[in-house]
Amino acid sequence: MKKCMYAWMLFLLSMPMIVFSQARQITGTVRDANGIPLASVSVVEKGTNTGTVTDANGAFSINVSRANATLVFSYVGMESQELVLGTNNNYDVSLSATGELSEVVVTALGIRKEKRELGYSAQEISGEALIQSKQTNIVNALRGQVAGVQINSGGGAPGQGSRIIIRGVKSLSPGKNNQPLFVIDGIIMDNSTITGGDAQASLRGMSNRAADINPDDVESISVLRGGAATALYGQAGSNGVVLITTKSAKAGKMRVSFTSTYGIDEVNKFPDVQSVYTQGYRGVYDPATIFTNWGPTVEEAKAIDPTHPDKLFHNYERGYIQGNQFRNSLTLSGGTENALLTSSFSHFKQNGVIPNSDYQNTSVRVGGQFKSGTLFKFSPSLNFINSGGYRVNSERYNEILSYWSPRWDVMDYIKEDGTMKGYRDNAVYGTYVNKFKDNVNRLIGSVAATFSPFSWFDLDYRAGIDYYSDFRRHAAPGPRGLAGERNFGDNGLGFVNEFRISNRILTSNVMGSFKKDWGEKFNTVLRLGNDVRAIKFSRLTSRGSELDIPTLLTINNSKVRSTDQHEEDYRIVSAYGDLSLGLNNYLFLNVTGRNDWSSSLAKENNSFFYPSVSLSYIFTDHFLKPDWLSFGKLRASWAEVGKDTDPYETNAYYISNVLTSSNQVTWTRGNSRGDQSLKPERTNTIELGTELRAMNNRIGLDFTWYKLNSRDQIIPVFISPTSGYTSVITNAGEVENKGIEIVLNGSPIKKQDFSWDVTLNFSRNRNKVISIVEGLKEIVVGNWFGYVGSTATMKYIPGYPVGNIYGTSVQRYYGSKADDGMTVDNSLPLVIASTGSNRGFPVRDLTQRILGNSQPDWTGGISNNFTYKNLRLSFLFETQQGQDRYNQLGNYQAAFGTAPFTIDRNDTKVFDGVLPDGTTNTQEVWMGQGVGPDGRDYTDGYYRNVYRGITENFVEDASWVRLRNLSLSYQLPSKFLRTNVIKDASITFTGNNLLLWTDFSGFDPDASSFNSGSNVDAFTGFAYPAVRSYLFSINLNF
Amino acid sequence: MRVIQYCILIILSLTITSCEKFLDVNTNPNSPTTAPINGLLLRTTNQTGLNVFRVGDLTSYYVQYLASPNAASPTDTYDQVDASGTWSSLYDTMTDIYDLEKQGIEAGATQYQGVAKILMAINLSLIHNLWGAAPYSNAFSGQSLTPAYDEATTNFNQIMTLIDEGIGLLQQSGSAISIPTGATSPDLIHKGVTANWIKTANALKARMLVQLSKTSQFNATAIFTALDAAYTSIADDAFISTFDVRNPWNGVAVANAGQILQGWLSEYYVDAMDGTSFGIMDPRLPLIATLTQFGDYRGTPNGKGRIGTGIDDEESYLSTTGFYSSQTSPLYIITYEEMKFIEAEVAFRTDDKIRAYNAFQEGIRANMNKMGIDAASRDAYLNHASVAVGPAGLTLELIFREKWKALFLQPVVWDDARRFNYGYEGFQLPLNAVQSTFIRRLVYPEIETSRNGANVPTVNSVVENLWWDQ
Repeated sequence: MKKCMYAWMLFLLSMPMIVFSQARQITGTVRDANGIPLASVSVVEKGTNTGTVTDANGAFSINVSRANATLVFSYVGMESQELVLGTNNNYDVSLSATGELSEVVVTALGIRKEKRELGYSAQEISGEALIQSKQTNIVNALRGQVAGVQINSGGGAPGQGSRIIIRGVKSLSPGKNNQPLFVIDGIIMDNSTITGGDAQASLRGMSNRAADINPDDVESISVLRGGAATALYGQAGSNGVVLITTKSAKAGKMRVSFTSTYGIDEVNKFPDVQSVYTQGYRGVYDPATIFTNWGPTVEEAKAIDPTHPDKLFHNYERGYIQGNQFRNSLTLSGGTENALLTSSFSHFKQNGVIPNSDYQNTSVRVGGQFKSGTLFKFSPSLNFINSGGYRVNSERYNEILSYWSPRWDVMDYIKEDGTMKGYRDNAVYGTYVNKFKDNVNRLIGSVAATFSPFSWFDLDYRAGIDYYSDFRRHAAPGPRGLAGERNFGDNGLGFVNEFRISNRILTSNVMGSFKKDWGEKFNTVLRLGNDVRAIKFSRLTSRGSELDIPTLLTINNSKVRSTDQHEEDYRIVSAYGDLSLGLNNYLFLNVTGRNDWSSSLAKENNSFFYPSVSLSYIFTDHFLKPDWLSFGKLRASWAEVGKDTDPYETNAYYISNVLTSSNQVTWTRGNSRGDQSLKPERTNTIELGTELRAMNNRIGLDFTWYKLNSRDQIIPVFISPTSGYTSVITNAGEVENKGIEIVLNGSPIKKQDFSWDVTLNFSRNRNKVISIVEGLKEIVVGNWFGYVGSTATMKYIPGYPVGNIYGTSVQRYYGSKADDGMTVDNSLPLVIASTGSNRGFPVRDLTQRILGNSQPDWTGGISNNFTYKNLRLSFLFETQQGQDRYNQLGNYQAAFGTAPFTIDRNDTKVFDGVLPDGTTNTQEVWMGQGVGPDGRDYTDGYYRNVYRGITENFVEDASWVRLRNLSLSYQLPSKFLRTNVIKDASITFTGNNLLLWTDFSGFDPDASSFNSGSNVDAFTGFAYPAVRSYLFSINLNF
Repeated sequence: MRVIQYCILIILSLTITSCEKFLDVNTNPNSPTTAPINGLLLRTTNQTGLNVFRVGDLTSYYVQYLASPNAASPTDTYDQVDASGTWSSLYDTMTDIYDLEKQGIEAGATQYQGVAKILMAINLSLIHNLWGAAPYSNAFSGQSLTPAYDEATTNFNQIMTLIDEGIGLLQQSGSAISIPTGATSPDLIHKGVTANWIKTANALKARMLVQLSKTSQFNATAIFTALDAAYTSIADDAFISTFDVRNPWNGVAVANAGQILQGWLSEYYVDAMDGTSFGIMDPRLPLIATLTQFGDYRGTPNGKGRIGTGIDDEESYLSTTGFYSSQTSPLYIITYEEMKFIEAEVAFRTDDKIRAYNAFQEGIRANMNKMGIDAASRDAYLNHASVAVGPAGLTLELIFREKWKALFLQPVVWDDARRFNYGYEGFQLPLNAVQSTFIRRLVYPEIETSRNGANVPTVNSVVENLWWDQ
């Protein structure tokens, strides 16, 4: 009754307005596709300045001035919607998720642009989609979701870094960063994986620094791929840009959101082993030999040694345990329209699948937004993070596991007095005593201010700091001198190494925007700005070894001590301009220019300018569009981006060492030769694309073709030490990347209670080294050990793609056919030796030939989203196809007789192939060690004498398809909550990496033996294995 | 607040002062672009000594001083080993010697130039003796990224030229800078005494010339001339005794004591020393090897590896307090004893048996004196029937055997072994050998085949003979 009264009064009060100014009040509720009320949705009367936002219940109320007014509803991550008002005064509006018409995306420097205006491709991923996967590393959360982006996790270690490459490798320099720039709320943040100062760090799966970010804080991520998209970031953005926007508060009552996730991790794939033959050499049982599996059969060994177990252990399965992870995060936000505040707290802890490896991350974030009308806006933000943990050297772990005979239980590793148990170094004991820990304290802070004195002018200023200290400690005790004690080899006489790393990035960006509408048809926006960035890096390393008290882990207790220091300063100043022209809201032209002045180049070469042009044309808004096509856009762009070099690369230096015993300083010429005349690298990008939507936007296609040429590369080329240096830095070489990216999305079912959305992305990148340094035939990027010359090498050779893997192969019979000395012709027969100690076996070809390529032919992902009432199911398939990896584990397995195929060691066979004279091979050979049934002494046998020395045997197809993620969540209906305290609640089950299809014989080939900052991605085997995770999470909103 | 202040400062620095100054931060605060000449001399004399160790750590397995604790270890069994580390160290040292000489020329310091040339000759000779052909004339300056290889014989001649030029420079007076002398001298080998450098140059010359014993270039007169100008007593030896922390052989012994197994004595060596093979206990053995738990000395057969756990003294190792492997033991580069054995060999080859026998005895005596063997034990050994054979009974085998004993761990012994076709009494192929004949050379290291592949000469096997070993 009361309501009725109010309504009447309201009606009466509004009568005069309707009469005199035709104003009336419109009310209503805005909900999302699931019917959940949306707060803070902007509601604006089109063509006026009148506007409001919805409250916590999604309700709004607005006074409109015109008779047939149109209301525009917009909300980040949702499709904006226009509503032409009829006679009703109350409307229920439903907004659906993005991917639709008037999508606003965050572009360079945080400028929000309508997607239709963009002359280049940009893809935005909502926080929701990211959180679903419950990935601990924000980079991994992007996996399979974005076209043109290749992500490989270094491995499954807690907190382990991941590598992200956009549109292929652009810098040929083996050590140079090819990963995109990370920007969080407009502030450049460091995403390096620091390994400097200690070789161990590169093998211990250190985090990429973006892993510090709490995924629950992220509102959305925009990925800028092309040159035109990133031109405003200058050289820092030449590898693409990942823009992270964090969640901000919405006006109204205080909101509290709590999420708790618990999960378990397990290794998703183990290598196979043979379980017939036990420890020994040449068939003779020996429970102490290094030869883990060249002995007799288990039965024969048991007859000799009654303590021999009935079954051999599977060392890899035995050496790994179940890991777990636990994350809690709490977000509190609220405020008024003019003063908003948000804060979040999160804690994450993960225990790894290798014993004694862990990681934790604690994050506290506070952000605010303060407004003084429309004139002034001020947003400060501060994020403190503490992260780190015990990192295990998985390469060494798996290597020592491979030396450990499965006749012994690797988990039986410790004696009562705490010393190592076993007949040789035990891998598990190693992780228990030889420990490496990092402890990062990081502060990311920013202030952003916008001053809007006129409707046509805004002034934006943003300043930020990203500072962290990283204290690392690598320590191990020495032997205690106990009777019968066995020391873990890597510990030596005990040592303590301390690393103190700090890095500070300061940024300052000022930008003025001038907007002008030239009548109905034509509008312009001009932006001018200045950007300053200063980076200061510092590292102090102190090492002490040979501990006096074997178990006291402090440098004070060491006999031999050394210290070294490294300081680095880098600064860059830029001026830029950006002009946007719009015609009739269907044709948009954008021109940018930027000039950088960099400190790392000599004065004559340190200023460099580069432009970009992009064009967007929405032809469906220009011509009469066919009925079936709801939207059609063509886009084209061209851009050039320059790139400088790292500090102090313009010279050669001398390095000092001290002779501890006499305190004399010795000097030696440094290994790297710099160059005064270094000039910036240049990357030119051409990009063409189209966006099409049909059937009422139910189906959409985004297609992009691009070509990137990176010239004048600054490359530290590894050269022969006989030259006087081991590397020389020079401007030379060109690499080309070209490819296509396709994103298809559709909503096959869209009903009130049931909807199905599907997104498919496909990317193909082809690259080629066009040229390298004059006088040089190849650049060695990296190599990885293999027995007897089977080391695999990654090299850049002109005319061949980046990522080629080289090594020894089985000799092919060329006969009269020409041999190019570079490729392996698989159509030809193998050459079998007819003389010598290896007669009857395939001949090793020592020429370094191409055996594979580490880059995928194509990558793709399919994500599906089903909602049925309160249930939501999503799953994502991801694939990388056509890449190869050198499997070091396979090489060791062959050498030690653990590989399943070595089970044929008691067989006699004839190898397919021809003798060096071309006639068919008919020689029978025995596959075992020692004297064979034919009386011939096969010494170490085929697998050790021949097979393990051929790299080709261990370069495997590492293509994979995986069910990257499956997530099922249930939104508890409000009637179950029976309380006003909890507004909504949901529970989610998530599975990551649940299924894997691959022909690769080792662990999951996704892991890499090199750290996430490295360009060397061709080698795996002993890397920290990938994990499969099952996670359960609960989300409560108060 | 400091952030804001800093940013204001940045803006001010841009507008008021010049942008140029703000960007002028590219001077490396960590390292200089030139080095002090004495710092280079310290480095090169230190590293030359260490290079002798690095090469010796490989060749000692080939001449069966040492044996690996691991069964069928690649080094023991003549498998191809990648000596990239040793190769790089040698070239790193020669690069610094190149800079040292350059600075010497610029400063008019003939002493430094002369020492640089002799140091270069020593290091190049190590390269030459392991690999033969190697970059020299095109190397070190950084001008060529893929230096060409000089023929082995060219390198041999370059070594001889360096020796002669070095002697010439050291004989000049009026060096603009003199090498500081005394205990803190940056010259770790001869403490700035140029006369001793001249002797070392001649000693190296004698060593290189005797290496030609299998070739037609063998010239006894030239060797005697060089010997006359070389060392006259053990006081003249070229060695270093200043280390970062410890003598590197002590590092091996200490690591082994800490269960990082290495520095195990070969069965062939122990048997030759403890009387098993030749009937007399060599008094030098207790100053070199550890006793086993059984109270005796036992070696490990090359290629066989350990019999037990390897950590309970079932075999003999380099002693942490041994003459060659204590923390402060001198690391010998060229010695007086070697000169005496060269004299013995050349005199023997020229049928001067008396001179040969005298030099042979003096070589043994000098080595024992140096090691501090008491006169009675020394003379008992010298007078034992297996040694005191008299001029008429002297054999080449005996000269080589005693030289092998006296030059323990030194790389030059492998040169001898190859010249002598491993003719030591009872010397056998290692167990599990991957070759059917003795090892003759090293294959080029991976760092060269991968980075300078086009220039690297083809080597098919470690049993190919170098030019002086045909």
